[in-house]
Amino acid sequence: MPPKQRTPAATGAPSTPSSTPARSSKPSSNNAQDILQGIWNKYVDRTPQRVKLLDTFLAFLVVVGALQFFYVVLVGNFPFNAFLSGFSATVGQFVLTASLRIQTNPENKAEFENISHERAFADFVLGSLLLHFFCVNFIN
Amino acid sequence: MRWLLSSALVLVWSAAAAAKSFTGNRLLVVLEEQSEREKYSVFLEDLTSRGFTTKVESPKADKLSLFRHGERAFDHVLLLPAKSKGLGPAFTANNILEFLKLEGNVLVALSSESATPTAVQSALLELDISIPADKGAVVVDHFNFDSSSASEKHDVLLLQRPGALRSDVKNYFGGEGYIAVPRAVGQILGNDSPLLSPILRAPSTAYSYSPKDEAEAVEDPFAAGEQLSLISTLQANNAARLMVLGSAEVLQNKWFSENAKISGKSIKTANREFAQQLSAWTFKETGVLKVGKVVHYQDEGKSKKMNTSLAIPENNPTIYRVKSDVHFQVEISEYSNDHLTPFVPSPNDNIQLEFSMLSPFQRLNLSPIAQTTNSTIFGVAFKTPDQHGIFNFRINYRRPFFTNIDEKRQVTVRHFAHDEWPRSWQISGAWVWIGGIWVTVAGWLAFVAVWLYSAPTERSVKKTQ
Repeated sequence: MPPKQRTPAATGAPSTPSSTPARSSKPSSNNAQDILQGIWNKYVDRTPQRVKLLDTFLAFLVVVGALQFFYVVLVGNFPFNAFLSGFSATVGQFVLTASLRIQTNPENKAEFENISHERAFADFVLGSLLLHFFCVNFIN
Repeated sequence: MRWLLSSALVLVWSAAAAAKSFTGNRLLVVLEEQSEREKYSVFLEDLTSRGFTTKVESPKADKLSLFRHGERAFDHVLLLPAKSKGLGPAFTANNILEFLKLEGNVLVALSSESATPTAVQSALLELDISIPADKGAVVVDHFNFDSSSASEKHDVLLLQRPGALRSDVKNYFGGEGYIAVPRAVGQILGNDSPLLSPILRAPSTAYSYSPKDEAEAVEDPFAAGEQLSLISTLQANNAARLMVLGSAEVLQNKWFSENAKISGKSIKTANREFAQQLSAWTFKETGVLKVGKVVHYQDEGKSKKMNTSLAIPENNPTIYRVKSDVHFQVEISEYSNDHLTPFVPSPNDNIQLEFSMLSPFQRLNLSPIAQTTNSTIFGVAFKTPDQHGIFNFRINYRRPFFTNIDEKRQVTVRHFAHDEWPRSWQISGAWVWIGGIWVTVAGWLAFVAVWLYSAPTERSVKKTQ
């Protein structure tokens, strides 16, 4: 998860500001933009590509879910089952994806030693297919 | 040959059925003194010519009974005033009421010149019709009397033919001319009974008193003005009819077409026609409603012609869905003297259909949509309510002078079946969330594709770590 990574990065950055050449080129300052920039750079550097892919998908799901939620607040929930179905498809997909991220993140390797990435991905695919099946059925 | 015989039979039967009451033609005329029969001869002949088989009997005749084997032995009874106060064992108050329960019709004629039999008096009291207790009580009117025959006593009332009881009630007793109501016994109708309705009310200047009171002025009249009813009727819930005719002389030959004088104007009484109207109504020749076929069906967009043939039984659906379009049709005829005619309700009146489960969910006016030679077809279209359960199509039509209609047809109203709801894409409001699902699915597919495609990169990432 980004916070976990952020902690060592954030603590590392102020303690040894001159040790990293990339950051030393800029004048060290504590303003918010720099901190955020630092976090972003660390994330880009340190995160494995598949976890980035997972994060992108999660962000996409958050956007889709938020759109649906704003729509129901603004316009109304007339076919309520349709709203439940659409919104829970997005939320459910988010949950499943987050689970996959936890299981395949190299940082959590110690905890999920006996679950291979292939196994986790297969679970994820099966769960997602079931979720889509139920949602499409529920919306009628 | 056989064909000839059967058609001859049909002819005979239809001739016999051509002119008679709706419920039967056996009429018992109760007359104590056969010598008085002459007074009513024209009226009785009119009845016979209208198809009644009249039997004139003294109330104390042997073996005379209103009932036989637990059924009524006559369809109609005409009680003419008797000299004696008792009517004998065949005509107790209980028997008269029992006769009404068996749907027999009774015309009670009273007269101030003879005492009203106790049996009749208590039977009428049972029905909430009160008449003066003392013999000789008479209705007089010092403004509407016949000056040629009752210039002294003012007890022969000359009245215009009655109008409709209410604006929404058909008038069976109207017409031209004056009717003479000599020496009438006035009645007071109880307020509580919805079954009672007066035909002829006394004018506002009339009052009822007992001439035996020798006082100069009448101190305590039985009743006065329009609260006095000269002719009143009761129609029981089973459509049995009872008419109380305050003056039996209305039916006598003497007044059928008599020259009379009211406030200097010479007129001829129209009693004969009026007596015919009174007896026709009481003996169910008029004012009888008959419900024919009741048809209801689901409106599926195509028009459906009602099959009015009685040979084909009603074939109505027993189950409907909530919120579906339903058509209801009912055929109603009115019996008029000797045949069924299309029923036309009064312009201010409506027959109503109730679609009810305990209480009506719909109460709708039925409008005439077609007419056959014998009946009017009333119909209405409506939507079943959003409530499932056991419902009744009910027509409850009760009006004075008409027989009651109370028809019910029970149906089940079910809820939507699971495949009867509209599909999601038919509801435009659901498109956003349909989009939500499919965008999620598409995003998921893209994610899976990229994940599988990016497998090798992961190894390199792992290695670098």
